[in-house]
Amino acid sequence: MPYRLTFAAALLTLAATAAAEPLHVTIDRLIEAKAKSGGVPIAEVCDDAMFVRRAYLDFVGMIPTDDEARAFIDDKSPDKRVKLIDALLARPEYARRMTELFHVMLMERRGDHDGWLKYLRTSFEQNKPWDKMAAEMLSPNAEDEAARDAAFFITKRLEKYGQNPTDYPGLTRDVGRLFAGRDLQCAECHNHLFIDDYKQRDFQGLFIAFRNLSLRRDVKFPAVSEGLIQTKAEFASVFNKRPHKTGLVVPGGEEVDVPMYEKGQEWLVAPDRKKKITGVPKFSPLRELAARLATQENDLFAQNIVNRLWFVMMGRGIVHPLDMFHSENPPSHPQVLDALAKAFVAHKYDIKWLLRELAMTKTYQRSSKLPRATTPTKPDRPGPEAASSQNVPNQTFTVAIERRLSAEQLLWSVLRATGEYDRYHKNDLRESLADRRKRFLAAFANIEREPEREFAPSLRAALFVMNDEKMLEFLEPRKDNLVGQLAKMDDDGKVVDTLFLSIYSRRPNDAERQDVTAYLSTHGKTDRAEAIGQVAWAMLASTEFCVNH
Amino acid sequence: MPYRPTKLCTPIDHAVSRRRILGLGAGAAAGAVGLGGLGGLTQPAVADKLKESDKQVLFVWLDGGMSQLESWDPKPNTRFGGPYRSIKTSLPGVHFSELMPRSAKLAHRLCLVRSMCTQDNSHSAGVPRIQRGDPKNRGVIYPYFGSAVAQLMGPGKSKLPPYVWIKPGSGGFKHQDAGFLGPKYGSLAFGDGKPPDNLLRHESVTTEEDDARNALRQRFNQRYGQNRRPAANEANSYVYDMARTLMKRQDLFDASTFSKNDVQRYGEHDLGRHMLIGRKMLEAGVRFVKVNSYGWDTHGDHFNGTASLIGKFDQAFSAIIEDLYATGLHKRVLVIAMSEFGRTPRVNGHYGRDHWPEAWSLAMAGAGVRHGHVVGQTNDEGTWVTSDAYDIGHMFHTWFTALGIDTRFAEYDNNGQPLPIAHDDMHPVKEVLS
Repeated sequence: MPYRLTFAAALLTLAATAAAEPLHVTIDRLIEAKAKSGGVPIAEVCDDAMFVRRAYLDFVGMIPTDDEARAFIDDKSPDKRVKLIDALLARPEYARRMTELFHVMLMERRGDHDGWLKYLRTSFEQNKPWDKMAAEMLSPNAEDEAARDAAFFITKRLEKYGQNPTDYPGLTRDVGRLFAGRDLQCAECHNHLFIDDYKQRDFQGLFIAFRNLSLRRDVKFPAVSEGLIQTKAEFASVFNKRPHKTGLVVPGGEEVDVPMYEKGQEWLVAPDRKKKITGVPKFSPLRELAARLATQENDLFAQNIVNRLWFVMMGRGIVHPLDMFHSENPPSHPQVLDALAKAFVAHKYDIKWLLRELAMTKTYQRSSKLPRATTPTKPDRPGPEAASSQNVPNQTFTVAIERRLSAEQLLWSVLRATGEYDRYHKNDLRESLADRRKRFLAAFANIEREPEREFAPSLRAALFVMNDEKMLEFLEPRKDNLVGQLAKMDDDGKVVDTLFLSIYSRRPNDAERQDVTAYLSTHGKTDRAEAIGQVAWAMLASTEFCVNH
Repeated sequence: MPYRPTKLCTPIDHAVSRRRILGLGAGAAAGAVGLGGLGGLTQPAVADKLKESDKQVLFVWLDGGMSQLESWDPKPNTRFGGPYRSIKTSLPGVHFSELMPRSAKLAHRLCLVRSMCTQDNSHSAGVPRIQRGDPKNRGVIYPYFGSAVAQLMGPGKSKLPPYVWIKPGSGGFKHQDAGFLGPKYGSLAFGDGKPPDNLLRHESVTTEEDDARNALRQRFNQRYGQNRRPAANEANSYVYDMARTLMKRQDLFDASTFSKNDVQRYGEHDLGRHMLIGRKMLEAGVRFVKVNSYGWDTHGDHFNGTASLIGKFDQAFSAIIEDLYATGLHKRVLVIAMSEFGRTPRVNGHYGRDHWPEAWSLAMAGAGVRHGHVVGQTNDEGTWVTSDAYDIGHMFHTWFTALGIDTRFAEYDNNGQPLPIAHDDMHPVKEVLS
């Protein structure tokens, strides 16, 4: 039976390839297969200029300098994209970028804290596994000097704001959302009204871990102490008032019973007010939670973080919205989610490894320009037309999604583009840099507690770019900055090229070259610097600069 | 620690809302117009029509609680009536307090409701509760009326910010008003009538240069937008257009451009100045203008305090009503003047009146409402409503209807959660509508 044998051999080979298939290949295979079966057009892989800008923004949090962009675009080596990814992941700014990303993702602009930021930074410098970081945040260990500031995730949320009482339910909700992708808010007082998977027990069972927490005042660093829990939590739906009891419920895990200890045996360290000793109960719901959430047994935990990192790189979650993991909101690509989560766990929750794999995909490297449709859309206008946006919904991941730039990415990129980055990183301008950061946050960041996800241009931001004096100051000619350098050049062609490489990280096309040259020619020699500044401003204010496309 | 539910999801009336959300009231759900919280429109034709509407709103908010007895519903010579007399108005049989001589002459232009009866007698809860229309609790924070109108009707042809708030004190972007609609539907506040940060064109940039650099920006955007999904580019261009439109209208809040006669007619006090700015904004086409006056919470020395406050209100309010009619703007602009509640008929030990949500009045004029009409009444001492009582939910229905928004069908879409735009057990007050 030679035929059968061949077939079996082929199957074996297939299985072997699948096992050895790198994650980025699997992702592309699955995304493309689904698109092809649905007749969805797929965009080209983007050009080098689009790639270099995208990769810099994602991995070091700012656009490349004109030299960096030029060098990459002109590099002829076939593996230059992989090389760039690796080079960027190795740069010190990678940890800064990740710190900013996770700080905004986890704290949602509630405020800064030096120790917390340092904790994040060190963790990303060491490429600490995500399960370890999550455990350090959810069950902070005050004895571990290197990691104790991770408690800020919880302690900041225990602070009162305004006249509101401590928002324990809010903390419960955030842990469900950010670590397990489940927004249980509407299941606090009853089973969720239109999400069958979200039960009141899920909320109340998780709430146990947080409702008894208090802020420690005896230490200078962020720290919490847990109260004693000896019975299950009682709750009742507001609809039928029927009483229920629950132990600790870990999202994506089982209910944990509350152990009974004999009187006097409940404490590991008994509290003593006179001696100012904070009690440590034997049963620590935070420890239980961390152990059962940040573990291989918990699928939801891995799925949540890979979905978030996918969102960061691709502009939309495979499960979307990100906080809505439930059976009626299925993932757009369940196999991709599964492959990501499994591989991420197999690689010991290595964030850098995952980001590298994602960046290697064609899916990440697709152009944000819509592909040309093969059939003309209007009979009277034959020839290729761009596919309409309806044809390519975001959830197909076949055309790159334009992504929001954070206030931090914008600040670093504006400094880069205008040639002011190095000057502002000198010691004597430290305070000025802090001021500029504050201004950028006021203009571009969301308000407290508002997740930053979609590109959301605002009147506030537009007014800032148009009129803020410090924003405009970047464009005043100075010896070393972009406008100052260009004002000294006589060759318009070179001026335009440098402008485009510095701000858009690409070379201009002919039409653009003409536009800008025409603009400059309407200005005399004396106000040449001003004219260059205005062109640079128009570019900074344009959509191409202020999104990650 | 006792378990306390969050403020967000207090369990009031969930049973009913559950039924509605689950779509058991199929009739209403089937005809619903999705007015998407994220701008997603399931019936774009209807929503587009609303966005083309030229209707506007002037919302005069008298923070702290205006006394109905010293204004729209006086009860002179009664136990709680206070020292002021009542005067005849241009509407036969209708009297106002003598503190409102100018408004009295315009009563034939106004529509009053004297039978307001609302739920909250505290300021901190009452102000947002009233301005959010006090809908049933569904675990979400509802938008203020201004944010609601901004979202439902957009900026209109003017392309100016759709919800402008002129107030004493601080200004800026007040996102809190927008509730679940999201920060972009918050108000743009002109603190003390002054514009927000960065609205003034930087002195180093001339008008011509500003035009030139923006023309270049638009050209770059146009190129960028070719062959791309339109959403990001359109949204970005939109906010720049709006910012530029607003920057070009600095006359709107530059008091030096106001005529002396107008300044005197409206009154040389905050409320007068702010009302005049409000008129300019309305003339410029701003969709929703809120003019705010503070300090109406007269628990002590009420009769002196209120005489001063109502005097200023009477002057500014009558001036703008006259002007809206003189220019024909009244056909477009719905005017509402109100507080979060009225004041107690009983006078307290400090010659003050306290909070009284049980029986109070508000005034309307202009687009969509009957002119020269009084709805409802209170008893002889002004303590209780003796006709049909109306809650703020009824008013929200009425105002939306006056603006051409059918509250039976229009719904918000809060990420898939359908939400009524006004209290679902209430209805428009037909008597108010023209």
